[in-house]
Amino acid sequence: MSRKKLKDLGFDLPLLPTTTVGSFPKPPELMRARAEFAKGKITEAELRAEEEKATIFWVEKQEEIGVDVLVDGEMYRGDMVAYFAEKMPGFVLGDLVRSYGNRYYHKPIIQSEVKWPGPMTVGWWKFAQSRTRRPMKGMLTGPYTIMDWSFNEHYVDRRAACLAIAEEIRKEVEALIEAGAKIIQVDEPATSVRPEELPLVVEAMEIVTEGLPAYFITHICYGAFQKIYPQMLDIPVDNFDLELSNNELSMLDLMKKNRFSKDISFGAVDVHTHVVEDIDTVKKRIVQGLEVLDPEQVWVDPDCGLKTRTVEESIEKMRVVVTAVKQLRTRYVKSTSQVQ
Amino acid sequence: MKLMATNTGSYPRIGSRPEFQVLRQAIAQRDKGTKTDADVKAAEDAMTRAAIEEQTGSGLDMVTDGQIRWYDPISHVAGKLENITINGLMRYFDTNSYFRQPVVKGPIRWKQPVLRPDYEKAVALSSRPVKPVLTGAITLARHSIVEHPGYESDFGSLVRDYNMAIAQEVKELAAAGAAVIQIDEPVVLKNAGDLPLLNETLKVLSQVKGKARLALYVYFGDPGPVLSALLDSPADIIGLDFTYNTKLIDQVAAVRPKKPLGLGLLDGRNTKLENADQVAKSLERLLKGISAEECYLNPSSGLEYLPRDRALQKLKHLVAIKNRVA
Ligand SMILES: [Zn+2]
Repeated sequence: MSRKKLKDLGFDLPLLPTTTVGSFPKPPELMRARAEFAKGKITEAELRAEEEKATIFWVEKQEEIGVDVLVDGEMYRGDMVAYFAEKMPGFVLGDLVRSYGNRYYHKPIIQSEVKWPGPMTVGWWKFAQSRTRRPMKGMLTGPYTIMDWSFNEHYVDRRAACLAIAEEIRKEVEALIEAGAKIIQVDEPATSVRPEELPLVVEAMEIVTEGLPAYFITHICYGAFQKIYPQMLDIPVDNFDLELSNNELSMLDLMKKNRFSKDISFGAVDVHTHVVEDIDTVKKRIVQGLEVLDPEQVWVDPDCGLKTRTVEESIEKMRVVVTAVKQLRTRYVKSTSQVQ
Repeated sequence: MKLMATNTGSYPRIGSRPEFQVLRQAIAQRDKGTKTDADVKAAEDAMTRAAIEEQTGSGLDMVTDGQIRWYDPISHVAGKLENITINGLMRYFDTNSYFRQPVVKGPIRWKQPVLRPDYEKAVALSSRPVKPVLTGAITLARHSIVEHPGYESDFGSLVRDYNMAIAQEVKELAAAGAAVIQIDEPVVLKNAGDLPLLNETLKVLSQVKGKARLALYVYFGDPGPVLSALLDSPADIIGLDFTYNTKLIDQVAAVRPKKPLGLGLLDGRNTKLENADQVAKSLERLLKGISAEECYLNPSSGLEYLPRDRALQKLKHLVAIKNRVA
């Protein structure tokens, strides 16, 4: 349980803190600005102004809804790997490859030694944090996912590439801490795809987080947890942000067999559907979670980033999480104080 | 021993040059209502032609249609069977690309040929033999959502019914003159328990293949642990992915296979061009141990995971290595 670590870092979060996974949809004005920038019709400064406006919108919106731990919404990112690959020497962006159906993206290629170019996310973190008194998460993509989602032409194998990237991502973590960030999320959505490589994920995350004074969260998604649980708990972070609603809480059965020993950001709304769940559904999911988890170890959030939803859907999904948690808090505060 | 260069399945359907953007544009415009299904079909034909030209141009001995018309490896055939609808996206193995999940709502039934018309078009466009490629019944079944009570507790019957449909496709393709028909079953590398079913399904396909030969291809994993079962399966050609296990070359050479193999020695999912000397050496070692009359050198998987320029380079590299050894 990492409540003590949070206290030591100066946080006094309520029971069942609410947060989000990281991304929000870009408002239509920003989408237009990005398209115009791509065509050379507006300047970088003009695009940046739209990104700042959208970031402020989302920070204020999260405050208004009552989310406890905020994110900047990633208004400045296209893709979670390409954003870093574009900034880090060693990567080039390749030609298009297909993601699915008629969707294509530029997949990065590692062509030489990967290097940290100086802060990549610190400016945006500071900008977002300066707009709120609530804690703002630092948001990074983890080395394993960056490796897995890139072509590797330089390093001898996947492991060498992953560990080299980890050394550089650690420098970004240090820069975020230097700037004042104390809750840092290092996303590793690729973790579950090659279960045999879980030890590599662990080793790389050790390089990223070891000995650093921050509360670390990692987001893992796309299921297949049965193949990596409970071994995945070895990944050296304080909090695992997991999608639980999308697979009808089947993860809870695994946790019954093997106790979940870290904190968890409990995905309580499905991000893959337009439908906004009602409060009772969300409450029921959290209550089911609390049958196998201690309220002291649970944060609540949506399953995954909200960027594929509309602005309105995202707001409603967040609102239903916060409302459900508020209604449950009193109940569990009482029961835990009785236990103490 | 005759060594032939071939493609393993898909080929990129986009590229940086404007003429390679036509399919993406046509689909986007069709979805907006400014183009028709016929426009999309024409763009698919154009991209299929381009895929075949690049394959024959690089010197392949046997080509595919590039699976340009496939939305993904699962829903393309499954979605055209009776009592199946198509659901949301799921990640396909460790590829970071996605497929649409079939939902099986009733008994699976084949309605009409899905791949034969595409195959016939490809043959008309190609100066080299064309190899049709299908995803096998077990891989389809493992990626489906089952809502039909008859299958819910009986995975075997789901596989067998999928396989009846695949058998119809194989029959049509054989009748259309395909000399080699490739069945992809990557999922058996993840579930060794499916191997008895694999034997059963391939046996059924063998009975309807006519003069064609069946090639079983497995990839996205290490075939080492199940190698002998794969080699003993009732397929005529066995395609293996060598990119997950550096010791597989020794293992395969040691068992001295009697069947023709599809040697996936070049990584179909990484842009890096393999060291030609090393690949040639491995290839020679393998070929010495194989007593079949022919073998195939191919990428470890379909090439749609690479950008177009890199897919073409990979094929040229592959042919150059084949020519050194052959
Ligand atoms: Zn996610």
